[in-house]
Amino acid sequence: MKSINLKENQFIQFHQKISFKFDGVKYFGYKGDTIASALLRNNINLVGRSFKYHRPRGIYTCGIEEPNALVQIISEYSEPNTRATIKKIYEGMEIESQNRWPSLENDFGSINNLFSPIFTAGFYYKTFMGPHKKFWKNLYEPLIRRAAGLGKPPKDFKGISNHIHHNVDVTIIGGGLNGLLAAKSFINSNYDVLLIDFEDQLGGIINNSNKISLIDNKDPKDWLKETIQEIEDSKNIKILKNTLVTTYNYINHLIAIEDRFVGSKPIEGKVNSTLHKIRTGHTILCNGHIERFLSFQNNDLPGIMLSSSFEKYMCRYGLAPSKEPVIFSNNSNSNSLVYSLIKAGLKPKAYIDSRSGEEIEPNLFDLIRKNDVPLYTNSQIKGAFGNKKIEKILVEDSSSALNEIKCDCLCLSGGINPDVHLFTQSKGLLDWDEKDLTYKPSKPFQPTITLGSASGQFNFDNLNSDVNQKLKTFKVKKLDVKLELNTNTKYNIEKLWEVSPQKKSLWAKSFIDLQNDVTTKDIRQAITEGFDRIEHLKRYTTNSMGTDQGKISSINALGIVSDLLDKKVNEVGTTIYRPPYAPLSFSAIAGRNCYEFYDPERKSPIHSWHLKNGAIFEDVGQWKRPWYFQINKDESMHDAVQRESKNVRENAGILDGSTLGKIEIKGEDALEFMNLIYTNSFTKMKQGSARYALMLGEDGMVKDDGIICKISDQHFIATTTTGGAATVLGCMEEYAQTEWPNLKVFMNSITEQYATFNISGPKTREIMKKAFPNINFSNEEFPFMTFQFHEFNGIPLRILRASFTGELGYEIYIPSNSAPKIWDNIQSVGKEFGLAPYGTEAMHLLRAEKGYIIVGQDTDGSITPIDLGLSWMIGKSKKDFLGKRSLTRSDTIREDRKQLVGIIPSNKADKLEEGQHIILDKEIKSPVPMLGHITSCYYSSTLGHDFALAVIKNGRSMIGTKAYASTSSMSTTGVDIVKPVFYDEDNKRLVS
Amino acid sequence: MLIINCPYCGPRDQSEFSNGGEAHVKRPDGSKEIGDREWGEYVFIRANPKGLFYERWVHTHGCRKWFNCVRDTSTDQILVTYKLDEKKPNLNNFKSVVKTPSGEPEVGSGNFTVEK
Repeated sequence: MKSINLKENQFIQFHQKISFKFDGVKYFGYKGDTIASALLRNNINLVGRSFKYHRPRGIYTCGIEEPNALVQIISEYSEPNTRATIKKIYEGMEIESQNRWPSLENDFGSINNLFSPIFTAGFYYKTFMGPHKKFWKNLYEPLIRRAAGLGKPPKDFKGISNHIHHNVDVTIIGGGLNGLLAAKSFINSNYDVLLIDFEDQLGGIINNSNKISLIDNKDPKDWLKETIQEIEDSKNIKILKNTLVTTYNYINHLIAIEDRFVGSKPIEGKVNSTLHKIRTGHTILCNGHIERFLSFQNNDLPGIMLSSSFEKYMCRYGLAPSKEPVIFSNNSNSNSLVYSLIKAGLKPKAYIDSRSGEEIEPNLFDLIRKNDVPLYTNSQIKGAFGNKKIEKILVEDSSSALNEIKCDCLCLSGGINPDVHLFTQSKGLLDWDEKDLTYKPSKPFQPTITLGSASGQFNFDNLNSDVNQKLKTFKVKKLDVKLELNTNTKYNIEKLWEVSPQKKSLWAKSFIDLQNDVTTKDIRQAITEGFDRIEHLKRYTTNSMGTDQGKISSINALGIVSDLLDKKVNEVGTTIYRPPYAPLSFSAIAGRNCYEFYDPERKSPIHSWHLKNGAIFEDVGQWKRPWYFQINKDESMHDAVQRESKNVRENAGILDGSTLGKIEIKGEDALEFMNLIYTNSFTKMKQGSARYALMLGEDGMVKDDGIICKISDQHFIATTTTGGAATVLGCMEEYAQTEWPNLKVFMNSITEQYATFNISGPKTREIMKKAFPNINFSNEEFPFMTFQFHEFNGIPLRILRASFTGELGYEIYIPSNSAPKIWDNIQSVGKEFGLAPYGTEAMHLLRAEKGYIIVGQDTDGSITPIDLGLSWMIGKSKKDFLGKRSLTRSDTIREDRKQLVGIIPSNKADKLEEGQHIILDKEIKSPVPMLGHITSCYYSSTLGHDFALAVIKNGRSMIGTKAYASTSSMSTTGVDIVKPVFYDEDNKRLVS
Repeated sequence: MLIINCPYCGPRDQSEFSNGGEAHVKRPDGSKEIGDREWGEYVFIRANPKGLFYERWVHTHGCRKWFNCVRDTSTDQILVTYKLDEKKPNLNNFKSVVKTPSGEPEVGSGNFTVEK
């Protein structure tokens, strides 16, 4: 295919040369060129290899519908699958073709084309089944994965995108003739209007074709310039160019992506795309139409393109891809290409039309006759042939004779479809038009208006009345625009979906989906095999499942299926077009919500101290908590945890517990409310005392635990688990509003307002005395589970005597801003007593030695307080509390429920693991009845061996017996079932 | 994404709200004798109709207030929102769009009529 440059126009200037590289070779294009137009200018027709058969492919279209010409942009973070037909070139751009090895010309994978008779529909489903199911995972899947896909995924994720929200009255999608007319009506009205076009120039059909000769007696280009100026001057209309609407959601919510670097290289560190999230009152769809192709043998050869695309290259890019293309059409849309060619001094090599001479428009007929263009009416192309490019075609004329025509370019037109993707995304209904042979929008579901060819109006006669009628709900100006056309006025089409090949051959291919390499034969086979529902057929053959969603071909497939099934097309139905309209990159969707902004990190007021003192952090919800502290780089986690826990048992340790959820509950009826929310009874509890409390769901299962401090009957402070804080507050609010609105009670989170330090160990009292000399910490003055308010150097403190380690312990609550001061003070006075910080892992170990549960680790939403052996915490005399009635349901009073027990290995040297199943038999013979599993497991240097907590069916009655823990290597470890407490069973250390 | 009209804050984006399931489910009075079945139904059983549905929502990232609404589950349209202490509206006041024999709404489900 030899291209020639035509005249310059406002989009392309021939003095502005740009160099770029394609597959390592340097070429020149002009400013304004897309990759496709620049390649065509350099007579490059082969640009990629197809998905399945690795067939040579060229440039098929001139827009977003492109199925073939997908390239990898090496100079932009190696962005794959970029449409060459819309991406503009810039100086120094590096582009590579895709899906070929070792080179585009000589591709090893094209051997697939030889074996193509076996790669038919359902090939993978049928072939990769045996001989053993392991074959799929270990052999087939890795092989297929390596072969699959077109471009290579980029190694880095570097693109930056911003999100912008809009809230407007009207959004006009598409800045073509109808979009501009709609916008013109809204000029200086009281509506906020957004006009969106995905090209860098408004104008659509006026720029892309020679269909229109005069608008309001002016040259269309002049009219366009004036109109755009008027729209730009209007204060209520905002224009977004280079912006593609990809998604149409409920309640007129649109997503659009704007390319910020059209025709220039994205600058590192700058925002290269903007995602617009638009909420609009009305959506006016003016997004036009898409031309269909036609199916015949080898309709995928490089050198074949859509006729309107050929015309667009001429009008927009000043480029005729070929000097003498052959035109093959079944409708009147290709008329303007003939007109444009002749106007440019070129001549089609032949004009082939499946319609009869009477159906062809008289003005086209005259044009063809006058210029001696060979005309074939009632004719069809049986096939195209050539090596990596089109060289000749075979035409069957009206007398069924075969004619061979040598050519280097073939322009196809199979009719036009309104671009209904966005309309169906909005859940609007389509209707089949038997005359125009296409689906057209019929009933909108949302306030959606369609104008022009997007609404199925392929003629221009009702232009004004259509716009005025459809916009009459708005208080806007009436339009009166006069239009004159160069070519025919009435759209006319004859049914033609597929031309069968001249010779029957296993290798003859008529494509129906170019991107996914689906042939018409695949469709036939799928129907024979029973996949006659269009949604099944689509998935079985992968027809229209590529990134182009079959924009130029899906209606043809429906036509072929309807003929095969002998049904009308509207009975066959259509598959659903889903968002996005065209692929958008993950970086655009992510926007700024990535890396450190992906999820907020919450840090305690002591965080910087932890950083300086060797803390290794653990994520608990959004919180960063010290997991353990390394005293030197060589210390292992095991050693650190054992050192920390031993120090708590022998001296004293301090834990930063600031992440604990804290909720303050106040109000006249606070006592009654707390009695309803928690299992415990708080009525008889003394002021200034604290209580360990459980919260259940209405199903009776443990949801959270914490310590409740009673300041008075009208004022409580509750702690929650670190991860459960938001849920517990939400639950309290819900019940206060929905079930007990009569109770006068308020609650608020004070988690971040107060830091919490947990100090525990036998030497704690000495440390506390020294740190806070004004406070009496004696057992009589400050007994276990009481709290006191104090002040230290002007800092208010609440000190609670409680412990999660089983040692003598205090929790100090300090306003967050003053917390570091107190922390440092305790560190310095604690030194002489051996005080050391400990992390969450040592805390877990210490609490497990005492058999204290962690909600969410030892419970899983199916464990009641009775299962945990915590019946003493249930206020049985209370009339009601969350989940009370569920504790006496037939299911919750079963005796064989899983219950919390302790586990130690029978041979103390054996190791245990969390998650191991507890079973009764030493030998594993399936099916193995499972008793339960280990929920927490640690090595204790205090005990000198592993120990675990587990939930086991009827576990309490099994205490003192033996069982087995299954290992991942299909063997078992003998274990003893014991009481779930391993250390200081009498709580002597706790209350001393 | 839906727009939900919070009775306290006005129309806001769906992302600010959380769904709370069926509305007007009365919690049995705990001070009275409750049968296993009655309690089990309260805890576990909720209606899941296609069409008009009384539903609870909470303005989680807003005023944190709970409120009720009537939503058409077949089209996701929220027909009315009202405060907890307001009387529940009669469903007959609303037009359900579920019309076709298969139960699909004529418009909005994305399904096309297929002769069976």
